[in-house]
Order: sequence, then structure tokens, then C-alpha cells
Amino acid sequence: MSLQNFLSRLDQLQSDAESAFSGASNSESLEEARVVFLGAKNGQFKDVQKMLGGIEPTDKRAAGMRLNEVKNAINEAFNAAKEALEGGGGSQVDPTFDPSLPGTRPTLGHIHPITQTIDHLTEIMGRMGFEVAEGPEVEDPWHNFVALNIPEDHPARDPLDNFYLATAGVAGGDPLAATGEGEALLRSQTSTVQIRVMQSCQPPIRVISLGRVYRPDAPDATHFPMFHQMEGLLVDRHVTMANLKTVLRVFANNYLGDDVEIRFRPSFFPFTEPSVEVDFLWNGTWIEFGGAGMVDPNVFEAVGYDPEKVRGFAFGLGVERLCMRRHGITDIRDLYSGDLRFLQQF
Amino acid sequence: MLVTLSWLSRYVDITLTHDELVDRLSLSGLNHEGSETVDGEVVIDLEVTSNRGDCLGHIGVAREIGVLTGQKLKLPTIEFPESPKKISDLLTVRNEFTEACPRYTARVIRGVRVGDSPEWMQKALKSIGIGVVNNVVDVTNYVMMECGQPLHAFDAAKVAKNTIVVRPGRKGEKLEAIDHRNYDLTSETCVIADAESALAIAGVMGGASSEVTEQTTDLVIEAADFTPLSVRRTARRLKLHSPSSFRFERRVDPRGIDWASRRACQLITEIAGGSVASGVIDTDGPIADREPIVLRLSQLSRVLGIDIDAATVERILKGLGCHADFASVEKDASTGGSANSLQCVPPTWRHDLTREADLIEEVARIHGYDQIPEDSPIPVTPSSKRPFDSAMSRLRGVLTAAGLSEAMTPSVVTEKIDGALSPWTDRPAMQTRTAMLEGSRRLRRSLIPSLLQSRAANWASASINAELFEIAHVYLPPADGTTGTDALPAETYHVGLITGDDFFATKGIIECLLERLGITGQLQVETVQRDGFAPGGAVELKVEGHHETLGYLGLLDDGLVRSWKLPGKCVAAELSADLLVAWAHLVPQQQQISSFPSIRRDLNLVLPESVRWDSLSGVIRSAADERLTDLSYQETYRNEKQDGPDRKRVLFSMELQSLTETMSGSDADSIVENVVTACEKKLSAVLMR
Repeated sequence: MSLQNFLSRLDQLQSDAESAFSGASNSESLEEARVVFLGAKNGQFKDVQKMLGGIEPTDKRAAGMRLNEVKNAINEAFNAAKEALEGGGGSQVDPTFDPSLPGTRPTLGHIHPITQTIDHLTEIMGRMGFEVAEGPEVEDPWHNFVALNIPEDHPARDPLDNFYLATAGVAGGDPLAATGEGEALLRSQTSTVQIRVMQSCQPPIRVISLGRVYRPDAPDATHFPMFHQMEGLLVDRHVTMANLKTVLRVFANNYLGDDVEIRFRPSFFPFTEPSVEVDFLWNGTWIEFGGAGMVDPNVFEAVGYDPEKVRGFAFGLGVERLCMRRHGITDIRDLYSGDLRFLQQF
Repeated sequence: MLVTLSWLSRYVDITLTHDELVDRLSLSGLNHEGSETVDGEVVIDLEVTSNRGDCLGHIGVAREIGVLTGQKLKLPTIEFPESPKKISDLLTVRNEFTEACPRYTARVIRGVRVGDSPEWMQKALKSIGIGVVNNVVDVTNYVMMECGQPLHAFDAAKVAKNTIVVRPGRKGEKLEAIDHRNYDLTSETCVIADAESALAIAGVMGGASSEVTEQTTDLVIEAADFTPLSVRRTARRLKLHSPSSFRFERRVDPRGIDWASRRACQLITEIAGGSVASGVIDTDGPIADREPIVLRLSQLSRVLGIDIDAATVERILKGLGCHADFASVEKDASTGGSANSLQCVPPTWRHDLTREADLIEEVARIHGYDQIPEDSPIPVTPSSKRPFDSAMSRLRGVLTAAGLSEAMTPSVVTEKIDGALSPWTDRPAMQTRTAMLEGSRRLRRSLIPSLLQSRAANWASASINAELFEIAHVYLPPADGTTGTDALPAETYHVGLITGDDFFATKGIIECLLERLGITGQLQVETVQRDGFAPGGAVELKVEGHHETLGYLGLLDDGLVRSWKLPGKCVAAELSADLLVAWAHLVPQQQQISSFPSIRRDLNLVLPESVRWDSLSGVIRSAADERLTDLSYQETYRNEKQDGPDRKRVLFSMELQSLTETMSGSDADSIVENVVTACEKKLSAVLMR
């Protein structure tokens, strides 16, 4: 048999086998096709293989190589057809594949728990119509005290309770150090933002302000000289303490849970009258979360509002306290440590 | 404020159990801090807010209990015999410092026998933590804890020339106080002196020379009013805070001064004998009634949201010591007529009651805040998120996706941290007078040093290479000589980040976040020299189309990194968050997608070493037309043998695509030709084929 005939027979065989395998519509017909082409006894490939003996010795090498190629191709075509009928499983996957090995995780960073808390608070208050307002952290005494009805002889202005700034650029020290107060200080409360908002807008006003405040407390598990407050302010023609209590109750139910109760205790803040401490009953204990009250008429007068025409309420809640309660954080200092072992838990 | 149940029961019947009582007090303004039993006495610790100086004595607390439980207060009757000897023959008082001492009163008692005070008084004082001294001093303390008015007893024999002078301290003057320490007096200190020298620091502490001892027989009893600010400043300056200064800082009852003086005379003569000289020296005139305040009942519901009936209002205000009267208000149409208003003269001990709002609070707290409903919603109003918050939320998304975690670090830093690096300004940082933490006084001018410190702390504690960011204010000091509001720092939000040693990874994060914020202009860099950054490794960041500096990015100086005991290198960046927000386009606009195939062409140019990618890409972009849809840098390599010194090969790919037609190969060729020609001409480039 000439090499030419042998090769064309092989080509024919390959194309017949491939079309037969790919045309098989189920495993029975595929098996029939397999017997026809690859059957060990009377398969067509076996027949062609036998013809190799009749090839001229000089052509045998080329013929053998082609024979192998065709054999592989037919086998592949059979396997492919078989897999296709079986739904693609099987030998595509290495038998040593262990799907229970851990996944390869992308390295993701973490958002600080205080930011998460602030976002959450902003979202809850946003649903009640409060928008975010901001002001500077370095304030003048007028915004931090005077406009908030805190007169000069008030203990809240004591230098020991505030971070007054040293007067800059004066040779030979700080001329105001003797009297204690300075021209600027790190704000001790976010209530300063109330003043800035009321100076620049007319009622109705509904804002919250979240930000850093500063008081010289010695750091321990529950105190840090820098912390965050959420200040709320609502000013309109008709606003009552019942509205204040309702807003704070709705807030507490949203943030801490449906079963949380709220209670007011009388207190004293120069910028509200009446003034109250706000307690939430949580897990059977009354916990103080902040202060609140009706905006003092003197504050309205300081910003040029007529206290006979408008009313308002204000509240300030400690963000850390809310965040720590919610996440079970026991030491406030962890929040400001920058320790990744802490941060990556949130 | 510590009170004992038995002491309170001298003025009011305690009809409630302990737990009920402290609960009612907490919910009406005297917060219960704790209770304990000392020597059989139940001692209750109450928090008194700074406006309620009247509750810094047992009578004040008893008055609160009385109004809560519907009882009248039982005040002791003061009676003592006066001797015919007139006080004016025994003592002279001159007040030369009325700014600090509006009223000074004195009485004289002669012939007392100083000794121990009786058992009941010692027990009462000890149970609330007051040390027992002798029967005279104990009485002054007892009366102070009874009514809140501090008193002082001088040994009359030690008062030179029988003259008391209230005056400012003199230059260089010193006083040995009863604690036997010497205190400097200044012209701001209010001093009680005799004709020769200082005897006491007014309202703060008495002096050793005139204190009452076993040998004392004649007394001067001081009852005065010292102004809060004067006492507070002196107490603070001398670091000498006493029960007396605490009370003066919260203001005393002007009418209570004489009551306390007489009460002390009564108790001293009962306990230690002696006779009280007739009359009193009082440096000020009679005490007028307080101005009446009109309370419109309609205001109660306007402020509180509940109605409280007139009888309850009247009962509460009268119980608190006000003279409240419906009848005396004149008919006034604007207030709705007399029947709806109440005229109220507050008692002299309630300095905090001056306005209608103050009376509303009194009624509310006694009536009970639990009466105020919590189902009174506010009207619906829309609110929207600030662009700043939306932008920062996206920014956090990019940075956390890039593997950075958010830190929060203190705004006030140490000199070491502040000095590490300050790319934004050379002006010295503003400082606080009081240190915040570990000597931190400086308001930070950059976030990077704080993040470097955090990275170092993470490495030191757990060998973590912390990749961190922070969004916080920095405080850029104002120019010298500015005053008023201009003297406040420029305070803006910055975004700081610190990462490992891959400059381009960090730059990529910044490029990515610009894209995510819809800032489409090219990020431009200019090499700058900044302390704390590696020389040549720092760049100022700008965005095409804006002239302001967006921020700084760079490799930190090796020396700085090593000073924090950190291995390897660090890359840090700081951006102005406010500029990011100002430039952001948070609402993406759809761009047309071409339905025609694109053609990619790779080019390999040999360039002078000095040609940076930004100038190369600029030339390419201006030489190509709008059909250059993407230009991507591939790599740079150098082969001096083939290309000569100071030459480099830069590989890049161009994606070419038209919105309107299928580009042919020759279209692409002509664009490439234009690019190559421009690069040859402007950059001395040679195309490698």
C-alpha cells in the first residue's frame, strides 16, 4: 500500500470518527460509535493499523507518526464527546483538587468604628430630616462660650477644663497666660456649630453636627482628652420638649433596639433651659448618653432670633459611648491607638 | 454634696424609703451618685449642678425633698442673748475691695471656752467627711453644711487694732494659712487683714496667726459674700480648693449671710458659752427683693408640650420659696389676661431664677419629666447627604479596597511628631497651653507623622506592616500679626495615607480615587524638596485644569523612618479632602461606546533620559487625534551599548478607535506616523522598528 493511500485513509478515518463522536446524542450511541472506530477487535482504527505492515520500510516512520497523531485526535474527540454528554465534569479537574482548602482573600482595609458609628447616626437622623453641618475645631471664646450663654465667671471656662491655645508670635512668652483664657481654644463641645448655623441661616433649622471635641481629662478606659459628639439642633415656630423626647426615643430605638426606654433627668447647661440628661434603659440599666434641652432664649438673642417667635431643642450625645456599647469595646483608648489588630475587627 | 438622712430629717420628714428618695432626687435634679452607711448614719452623695449653689447645704436639699413630698420646711428658730456691749465699740470693718467682696458682716462673741464640740455635732460632721477641730470651728463648719454659707471665726485678740480690712493683697505679701503653708498674695487676691497684716485669704482659707485655739476667748465671726470669679481665680492660682471656695464659686444667698452669722452665734453660745455683742457690722445696705418674673401659663405648653394646671404650678413655685401670686398681675391683653399668668418673686438663694424660662424648668423638673410624652413626632422634612460625605464615603471605599485601614489619631501631637514633616507650611504649629497626652501641645500641620507613628507602633507590637489612612483636620497656622477671627488657623480636612515602599502602588491608589471621584484631569507631579521626604522622592500633586496644590506624595526619608525603628521604606501621601470634594463629579455621565473595532499599536521609542513620561504622553496625545482612546505605558529599559549613554527605551501601547467608522490599517498608520514624527521633532526620539 502506498503511503499516500495510507495517509488519506487515516484522514478519512479521523474525520469520520470525529463527526460520529460529536454527532452522538447519548451515551449509548457514543458507545456504538466507539466500538465502530476504536473497538479492540474489529474497530476501524485497528484495521488501518494493520495496514501499516504493508507500507514500504522507508515510509514507515512517517506513517507511524501520522498514525499516532490520528489515534490521539480520535481519542480526544471521544473524550470531548463523552464529557460533553456528561455535562463537562470529570477529567477537566485534577484528581488532587481539594476544594476545602481556604480561599485566597483580597486584602481589604477596614473603616474605623467611629466612622461607621457616625455614618449610622447620620443615616438615622437623616431619616428624621436632620442634615449634617460642621464648624471648626479651633474656636474663639465667643462661639464656644459667650454666644452659648456661658459668662466669664462660669467654671466651664476654667483653663484647667479647656485647651486654650498659646498666643503665637509674641516674644517673651504669653501675655494672656496669667488670666488663663486665650483668644482661641480647641472646642469643648460641638454646640459651637449651633451658633454658626443659626448665624448663617434662618429657621426652620434641622441639623446635626458630628466632630471632634477636646477636654483635658486624664486618659483611662472611659476617658480620652479627644472624643466625638453628635450635636442636634431643631429650631422652628412650634417645637416642644415632647418633640425632643420623641426624637431621642426614636433615635434610641433605631440605634440600640426597639425595647430601649428613654428618661430625662434635670441638669444644667447654660445654652439650654430646661436642661436634661438623657438616659437610655439598656439591658436593665439606665445609661447616660448625653445632654439635651430647649434652646435658651439668650442663645437665640445672641444670634439675632426672637425667642418669642421661635423655639428649639438641642441635644449632644457622646459618639464613643454609643460606639463602644454597640460593639462591646471596653477601652476608649483602643479607638485612637491606630492598632491594626483592633481596627481590623470592624 | 454629701448629706445624711438624719441631718435632713431635722428640716423635713423623710417619708420615702432610701431608694425612692434618691430616685426622686435624681429625677428632679440632684443626681444620686451613691450611698453608704458611716457609723450608723446613711450618707447620700448627690451631684449638685453649678447653678444650684443653694443645694450645697442640708436645708437646700431638704427644701427639694419638701416640695417633692408636699411638706413645709422646718427651719430652726434662732435665739441668743445679746450683751449690752455694742459691736461698734469692739470692732471696725473697712471694705476696700467691693469688686471682690460686695458684702462683709461681722459679729463679736466674748468669753467663750474653746473645747471639744458635742458628740452629735462631731458625728454629723465626721459622717460627711469634715474634720473635727474644736467647738468654735466645728460650729462654723456645721452651719456651712447646714445652710451652705461659709463662715470664718477669728481669734479677736489677734486682730490688730480691732480692725478688719478687706483689701487686695500687696506686692510681695505672704500669708501662712491654717494648713501651715505660705501663700503668695497678689493684687488680684482678696485678703482679709487687720490694721497691720493679712489674716485670711477671702473665701478660700483662714490664716494660722488668727486661728481659734484653746487660748482663744473672744471671737470675730465673719459671714460675707465673695464674688465667684475672684474666689475661683485665687483658689486656682494657689491650688487651694476648699468647701468654702466651692460654695462662693457657686454664689451664696445674700439674705442667708446674716442668718448663718446668727445661727453660728446661737450654737457657739449654747455650746461654748460667751456673750454676743449687740448688733452686727454689715458693709452693705439692705437687701432688696428680687425682681418679679411673669410666668405665662401658656408658655408651659409651648415649651414642654403638656398642660400643667395652675394650682400645681403655684404649689411647686411656692414650695421652692417663690412668692407666687395670680392676682397681682395686671391685665395685659398680650399675655392673655391675669388669670393665665403668675407673678413670681424668686427667693434670694435662687440666683439661677431670673427669667420665665427658668421658672418653666422649675415647674417641669418638679412636676416630672416622665410626664412629658414621647410620641409627639416632628413634621416630615426631606434631608440630603452632603457632597462631602458622599465623596468621603467613595474615597473610603477606594482606600479600603486597596487594603488600607482607617485610623484615628490625636489632633494634638508632640514636638517630635510635629517636627517630622510639614509639607504644607513652614509656619510653626499653634500650641495649646495645657498638654494633651504625653506632652503633646502642637496642633498638627500634617497627618503623615501621626500615621508614621501608628505604623511604627504596629511594627513594634506585632510586626505588622500597617497600611493606614486617616481623614481629619489639619491646622495651618495663620500669618504672623493677624488678629480676631483671622488668628484662627486654616482648618481643613486632609486625607493622609501611609504604605509600604512602592511609590507607584501608592500613586496608583491616588489615581484610582481621583477616577472614582469623577476627577478626570490628569494627575500631575512636580518634584519638590520637603523635609522628612527622601531627597528627590517627593512630589507635589496637582490636577490638570486646577491651579491649587492637591497634596504631596513621596518616599519618606530613611533617617526619619529609622528613627521610628521601622524596617524598609515607607511611602506617604496627604491630599486636601476639601479640594477633592470641590473637584469631584459624583454623578457620572455616560460616555458613548464605539461599536467599531479598535486597533492596538505598540511603539518602542529611544529617548533622552531627561524626557519624563508626562512630557512624552503629552506630545503623543497632542499629536494623535480624538481617535486615540487609550495610551498605556508598558515599560522602560536601557541598553547603553546599542543606544548610547543617557538614552532609554520606552514601550507603550496606543488604542485607536473611531466612534463613526471602522478604522483601516492605513488610518492607524497615519496616526502612528504623526505621533512618531512629533516625538522625533520635539523629544529627539528614535522609533525602534
